[in-house]
Amino acid sequence: MTPGIDSPMIDVRTVTKLRGTNRVLRDVSFAVPRGQIVAVIGPSGAGKSTLLRCINHLDTIDAGQIFVEGRLVGYEERDGALYELADAATSRQRQGIGMVFQSFNLFRHVTALENVLAGPLIVLGQQRAAAERRARELLERVGLADKASSYPNQLSGGQQQRVAIARALAMQPSVMLLDEPTSALDPELSQEVIAAIRRLAEDGITMMIATHEMELARDFADRVLFLVDGELVEDRPAREFFAAPRHDRARQFLSRLGLGAVQTEEAGT
Amino acid sequence: MTLATDPARLPAIGVARRVVHRRAWGAWVFGTLVLLAVLLVIRAGINARVLNVGIFLDYVFSSQIVTGARNSLALGTVALLIAIAVGLVVALMRVSGNPILVAFSAAYVYLFRGTPMLIQLIFWFNAFPIMFPHLHLAVPFTDTVLVSMPMTRLITPYAAALAGLALAEGGYMAEIIRGGFLAVDQGQRDAARALGMRSGQVMRNIVIPQAARIIVPATGNQYIMLLKSTSLASAIGYLELLRITTDIYAANFHVVELLAVAGFWYLVMTGIATALQTTLEKRYPHR
Repeated sequence: MTPGIDSPMIDVRTVTKLRGTNRVLRDVSFAVPRGQIVAVIGPSGAGKSTLLRCINHLDTIDAGQIFVEGRLVGYEERDGALYELADAATSRQRQGIGMVFQSFNLFRHVTALENVLAGPLIVLGQQRAAAERRARELLERVGLADKASSYPNQLSGGQQQRVAIARALAMQPSVMLLDEPTSALDPELSQEVIAAIRRLAEDGITMMIATHEMELARDFADRVLFLVDGELVEDRPAREFFAAPRHDRARQFLSRLGLGAVQTEEAGT
Repeated sequence: MTLATDPARLPAIGVARRVVHRRAWGAWVFGTLVLLAVLLVIRAGINARVLNVGIFLDYVFSSQIVTGARNSLALGTVALLIAIAVGLVVALMRVSGNPILVAFSAAYVYLFRGTPMLIQLIFWFNAFPIMFPHLHLAVPFTDTVLVSMPMTRLITPYAAALAGLALAEGGYMAEIIRGGFLAVDQGQRDAARALGMRSGQVMRNIVIPQAARIIVPATGNQYIMLLKSTSLASAIGYLELLRITTDIYAANFHVVELLAVAGFWYLVMTGIATALQTTLEKRYPHR
């Protein structure tokens, strides 16, 4: 059970997720080593968000296993079956997994500072003075030291997303899941969020980023997972993927974005 | 038509023009009619048998009346507090997803919101002690008896009025609180859970404070309604404001003055409720 130094940070094994009779994830398997940055891309409805939400058990799975830092997330294995863990146990596991959402989801009834403090104070029960010092440092790190006492509705989308990143970081997670962090932002505001994510990348935190933003995927992802209809159809180093996608759908997807039109459409079949 | 191109008819560029905004003539005509109607009512009031200010002042701060007003205020306030607790529990059942709890809460709201409050008060005071003449509370499977007394000793007019008002109001509060919960976007809960909050912490720290923005104004409204509904308790003999007022004018026939006294105190009470609501709304502003 104890994670070895080489054991992957995230280990997804043959995960299937059903929604009604629709299989939103089909037998997905991959492992992410410590410090790797993985971009999850694919057309809308491919299951990118669902995959991330399963990793911290915001969504349940119907088959397979997900390990984070060597621990089975959300379930307990007994007599050859997986039993869903109690709320308290799952909550403890989530503490080490940071998440950033497409729609920011800042707590709108409190200030930016209180948003960043929510985890340390409510979940970890830290002393306010020390936690506040750290929270202010985190806000400074995302360039928002002067917005500490602003409420979410007084901030731009880009600023809100940067506060959301600081809020996730306040829990000192070992893994960050970013679910389309820039999709709700116009290109200019995306840039400030991308800059904040770049700093995380430089710090060496393990990240999975579901994104439509090819700049995010190309500039600092080490690896690309390409999902289509819940199936993991390509899993390759980012550079190789963008230079020469193997799968037809990946090629179509990139050419539609005006990228990677290196090869012709016919070359695939 | 050469109107548009006739240079003589076009205003010279750069010449300032006076701007005349559209007037709402219809509203002014209607406003005049309203004013006339008010004047007619005032004239009728002057010609009618006017309220005797001396008698009004004799009674308005008399100890009987003040006690009645205090009883009404206390009854309404305690009933609201119980109703909030009942409503919270019923609303939590409703959103729990468990079919038994959902059905129970739906039935509760239907029953207590669907019958007149007056009937419920009379039921608790008159029918309930007939159905259950003796209260006997004991610890199951032992000989320990906690309470044993005739039901009529427990069901005083106050107890019946409090039960009736609180349980009926609980039905309304359940719906108000549920509406508040539903207004909190799922993303807020996702974000809280992703940080590692347990469901109780999500409820206390995220859902309830945000739902309060919706719940507080509606609850203020219910408080005002409930304060006035305490007058229903006069039907079961509880000495609240209206009962005391009617008892007095039944003896001295100063109906106009005494009803004015009662009206005055209801306005004071609802004024207090409104002030409280405004203060609370400032604590939970819309964001």
